[in-house]
Amino acid sequence: MSFPEKMLRIDRRIIFFVIGLCTLLPLLYPVDLPIIVTPEVRMVYDYIESLPDGSVFLLSMDFDPASKPELEPQAIALLRHAFSRNLRVIAMTLWLPGTGLAEQTVNRVAQELGKVNGEDYVFLGYSPGVGALIIGMGQDLYKAFPSDYYGNPTKTLAVLKDVPNLRHVDYVVSLAAGTPGVETWYLFGKDKYQFELGGGCTGVIAPGLYPLLRSGQINGLIGGMRGAAEYELLIDQSGSAVAGMDAQSATHFAIIVLVILCNTFYFMTRRAAARGG
Amino acid sequence: MPFDVVLGAWVAVGLTLFIFTFLYEDNPLFKLAEHLYVGISVGYTIVKGYELVFRLIYDPIVDEGEWSRLIPVGIGILMLTRYVPKIAWLSRIAFAFVVGVGSGLAIPRLISSYILKQVEDTVRPLVSVLEGGLIRPTFDILNPESSLNSLVILIGVMSVLFYFFFSIEHRGPVKVAARTGIFFLMLSFGAAFGYTVMARMSLLIGRFRDLIEFARPEYGRATLWLLAVTIVILVTAAFRRPSAPPEQE
Amino acid sequence: MTFLRRQLPLVITFVAGVIFTLQYYVPHPKSEILLTEGSLWIQIIGLFALVLGVTSLFHIHAVKIKRQEPGWGYSLILYFGIVVTLAVGLFVQWVGGQHPGGKETIDGAMTAFGWIYTYTMVPLQGTMFAILAFFIASAAYRSFRARSKEAALLLTAAVIVMMGRVPLGEYLLPVTGDITLWILNVLNASVRRAILIGISLGAVALSIKIIFGLERAYLGGGKE
Repeated sequence: MSFPEKMLRIDRRIIFFVIGLCTLLPLLYPVDLPIIVTPEVRMVYDYIESLPDGSVFLLSMDFDPASKPELEPQAIALLRHAFSRNLRVIAMTLWLPGTGLAEQTVNRVAQELGKVNGEDYVFLGYSPGVGALIIGMGQDLYKAFPSDYYGNPTKTLAVLKDVPNLRHVDYVVSLAAGTPGVETWYLFGKDKYQFELGGGCTGVIAPGLYPLLRSGQINGLIGGMRGAAEYELLIDQSGSAVAGMDAQSATHFAIIVLVILCNTFYFMTRRAAARGG
Repeated sequence: MPFDVVLGAWVAVGLTLFIFTFLYEDNPLFKLAEHLYVGISVGYTIVKGYELVFRLIYDPIVDEGEWSRLIPVGIGILMLTRYVPKIAWLSRIAFAFVVGVGSGLAIPRLISSYILKQVEDTVRPLVSVLEGGLIRPTFDILNPESSLNSLVILIGVMSVLFYFFFSIEHRGPVKVAARTGIFFLMLSFGAAFGYTVMARMSLLIGRFRDLIEFARPEYGRATLWLLAVTIVILVTAAFRRPSAPPEQE
Repeated sequence: MTFLRRQLPLVITFVAGVIFTLQYYVPHPKSEILLTEGSLWIQIIGLFALVLGVTSLFHIHAVKIKRQEPGWGYSLILYFGIVVTLAVGLFVQWVGGQHPGGKETIDGAMTAFGWIYTYTMVPLQGTMFAILAFFIASAAYRSFRARSKEAALLLTAAVIVMMGRVPLGEYLLPVTGDITLWILNVLNASVRRAILIGISLGAVALSIKIIFGLERAYLGGGKE
């Protein structure tokens, strides 16, 4: 077996080790390379900036623990921004396994900024039905969610006063790890109830949301950890996403080098085979 | 540091490392963690479901007198007859209702949201209104809103649809359209791969951040101790039961 | 009896489907009440679908344990996970909790149920997906080869996007950031749009077939 052939059959655990190292080292010794803010992320930020005090902002954290490192920083940054702008915040999730994460995130950020549950924000939790739930909220929010996550009747909450349905919500952002997520909120929500909709998502589903961004069906898109890092920079509060971007750089370049090496060895074996007849 | 947090750190690190051992080879530690994960997830789902019975059904009926909520409860119970062979056919009534309503809700919304809106944006005018009321095409390739890019999108959408929908033999102009579609598809898949790498690495970064955090003295250096224990277990297992070399992809 | 078993479900699907399709185009207050109630019903029925989802898993592992099939010990661990989470979620909460059912926190303090969620379920699920990072790298090395023009295009786009989405790439070659945005906003958007239109047309066609009883796979299960 020639050298290039041997290299093409290298034990995959060596690759695992390289990736592990490229992730670990930048986390231990960060370089803080500059991050450029893209227009699609800025659009979400600008829209929240433009909302007057007391506007209603609904954040649907449609993800589970598998996507925590990508979407939790987005949720934290958006909540910090919304609370600092004195928006009324409605938080919820369409993903049952994400209920605990969503609850902890919204309560932590609210506590950090001195916001009061029931007055400045509400956590509605999870409810089944997906599209039917969104339609239900669009028709009658108090009926779809008779109580908040802690059993308080939604009709009596100050934060939901004059918010009988989704038509009275000024901005909805869905942070999605898949379906149900941003598309579901458009299909069953914005299409009929005409609120403004923004999106945040994992890197896996981000490319699929660009048609909606281009057609204006969503007014901005925060994509993956990079998008979260951009938002953290916009609100001037670097968090775990910014801290993770050096490791992203290292691992991405490791993979690029691996792809180049693999192709080099591949062409070497092909040339050798051609020469050998 | 409170005891429950330190204990939590040790448990979280242990389970994380158990799953990472799969990278070396499939082993009992991984299987244990995997099955525990499924069990806890199911338990969590049931607890949440139980809680929802109160929030969605019991409380509104008792507090607000919304007795009409019993009708969907009845339909839902029909769904569960699936597990009683003699009356399992009753579950069909529940499924028929859910699927019927679901289809009815989906049809007009899909047409409006994903077909009409997307087609409308694809056939944008090829000229732009510039400042001062000037109307002319714009050719800035890096500006996604330029006329040139509207044309590129039109060609992309048409050629990809053409590639998927027309099963006639690809010859002449048909071949050109289908080949163009393939090129667009490849570029898009490449971009998707690039973005997916970021997604996967993010998850790894998230776990490593926790491991680094729990390696601190206030957590009793959980990561370091448990890493050593995991390695010892794996090495011992390897000596006891010589395993075949790992499968190549 | 045959009507009840075979035709009635088809009639229900047809009537429900037609009513809720037409409802979209008739924004009369009564029609809106119908939509409100219909969506609430589906929401509540969804709760029972949750039960359906988990019971099949119970069954599979119960059989494994009963027959002592290879790996049945792991099924016991699965049951252990279920029982402990249920016990803590449903019963421990009652001591001092105002409302039955598991909450991760009460008045800002983490509960035992919250502890299980935070320190077992979150890291377990997170790590389960995190190991994919290693496999995507290994797969890139083993199968990302420029064997044809198409593969070369795919590879080039992937490398550009990988560079353009990370700070180091933009720092070394700033133009990759702009090209990445162009690829995503223009080339990728056009392909995804075509796919979205195609899938939607397919979904509409399937829904129409279901309403008219031409597609009946969803009625599977249960004796005739």
